[in-house]
Amino acid sequence: MEELLQALTQGVLIGSTYGLLALGMGLTYGVSGIVNFSHGDFVSLGMFMCLALYSAFALDPYLSILITLPALTLIGAITYKLLIQPIANSHLLMIIQLTLGLTLVLQNGLLMIFGGQPARTPSVVESKLIIVGDVVMRLPHLIACVVSFVLAGLLFVMLRSTDTGRSIRAVHQNARAAALMGIDVARVQILTFAIGIGLLAVAAALLIPGTPIHPSQGLRYTVITLLVVVLGGMTNFAGIMASGLVIGIAEAMGTIYLPNVLGLLLPYLIFVAIMLLRPQRR
Amino acid sequence: MLEVRNLTAGYGGVPAIEGVSLRLDKGEIVGLLGANNAGKTTLINCLSGIVPAMSGAILFEGEDVTKLAPKHRVERGIIQVPEGRLVFPEMSVRENLLLAGFNRRARPHRKAELERVLALLPRLAERMGQMAGTLSGGEQQMLAIGRGLMAGARLLMLDEPSLGLAPRFVQYIFEIVDKLNAEGLTILLVEQNLALTLRHTRRCYVLERGKLVVEGPADVVKADPRTRSAYLGL
Repeated sequence: MEELLQALTQGVLIGSTYGLLALGMGLTYGVSGIVNFSHGDFVSLGMFMCLALYSAFALDPYLSILITLPALTLIGAITYKLLIQPIANSHLLMIIQLTLGLTLVLQNGLLMIFGGQPARTPSVVESKLIIVGDVVMRLPHLIACVVSFVLAGLLFVMLRSTDTGRSIRAVHQNARAAALMGIDVARVQILTFAIGIGLLAVAAALLIPGTPIHPSQGLRYTVITLLVVVLGGMTNFAGIMASGLVIGIAEAMGTIYLPNVLGLLLPYLIFVAIMLLRPQRR
Repeated sequence: MLEVRNLTAGYGGVPAIEGVSLRLDKGEIVGLLGANNAGKTTLINCLSGIVPAMSGAILFEGEDVTKLAPKHRVERGIIQVPEGRLVFPEMSVRENLLLAGFNRRARPHRKAELERVLALLPRLAERMGQMAGTLSGGEQQMLAIGRGLMAGARLLMLDEPSLGLAPRFVQYIFEIVDKLNAEGLTILLVEQNLALTLRHTRRCYVLERGKLVVEGPADVVKADPRTRSAYLGL
């Protein structure tokens, strides 16, 4: 029972950040119809920026967000405008090719600058524990969960009731009609991608305390994000956050209850099971 | 108000309209007729900037807008109400209307314009919170026109507003169109429905396979044998 509670808590805490990772991918897919296979490497980029800022100025990763958020948002905007937009209307495989290429560039770029040894970026809150009953929570995880849900909430409100949010939804629902209503579709696509990548700067800072980082980790985050986005229904906001939790809990359960390798497989098994058994419209 | 000179446009280098010239004066209601595939939609998409012009020029109030992005044409008041309505299905009626009034020129009077639109189309006022996708075809057409007004239309281009509507809705929509024109709005009415268009416009152009074949006052166009042949492809 204790273990179960512990696993559930851990799962929810981590899973909420997975949800956050996936929101950006879902938004971009909804507006531009593209899937960015270098998504996880932008998380890596965010983390290594935190590391660099810590090494240079002893900046706590949470504070680094002040710099990494605008930086990654800008990088996202430039990436979309210069690399993705020119081929956005070509075959889906072209986008996959391009973003996979970007993965290699980012990974090897990070490897070149930071080397291949696992590195850590400590935070002042890193080792603090919060104990509720029998359940032990690491403070960074709790922060990650709260911030993720707050950001998801803000994003939701932004989409719901601001002009920018409405224009993002308009492009998602009918790009041609949006253009006829005076919305600059290309600009909305850049903006959405930039927001999605910017969110990764926050996610990176939330995930980094206590986690050793390595340039090759990006793929893992990309795969988790894809799982969450697909499970959540690609563009369904609440669905994506919920499926973040499902994947997070599956991962926590797997590590606690199952022997090593099998434990790591559990999220994928659950994913496959849900995809096969979910109710389907006929 | 609008002057189109020798306009050629199409897709993938293949022209769908060729050498089209037309003009609309301020406050006029003009019909653009033609069978399916005659190039009517291409023409107004080109006027909206969705389809680039291959050659020729579009002048709006004396300004050359041929190269302007769709957004900037909307800001100038060149508004298309597209075929099939294309309302944003998962947004409420209110959001559809507000979003349309989002461009730089329309935004300052968004509130007042909303009231005017709802007074003109009271049916929408009853449906404000409803998702646009759940409206009937006729209501969606009203919403699409409402959106065009919210966007600050000075030239309203209606693409097949009667398509797929029940007859009583068609009549209602055309009453609205007449009313808007009576209030001074310049309207380009793109229609397949010959009789209806001739009844509601003073002047018409007839497109056949991308070229203008007949133009003139409604009764002249009606009597011209080429109008009939443009429709029947004889």
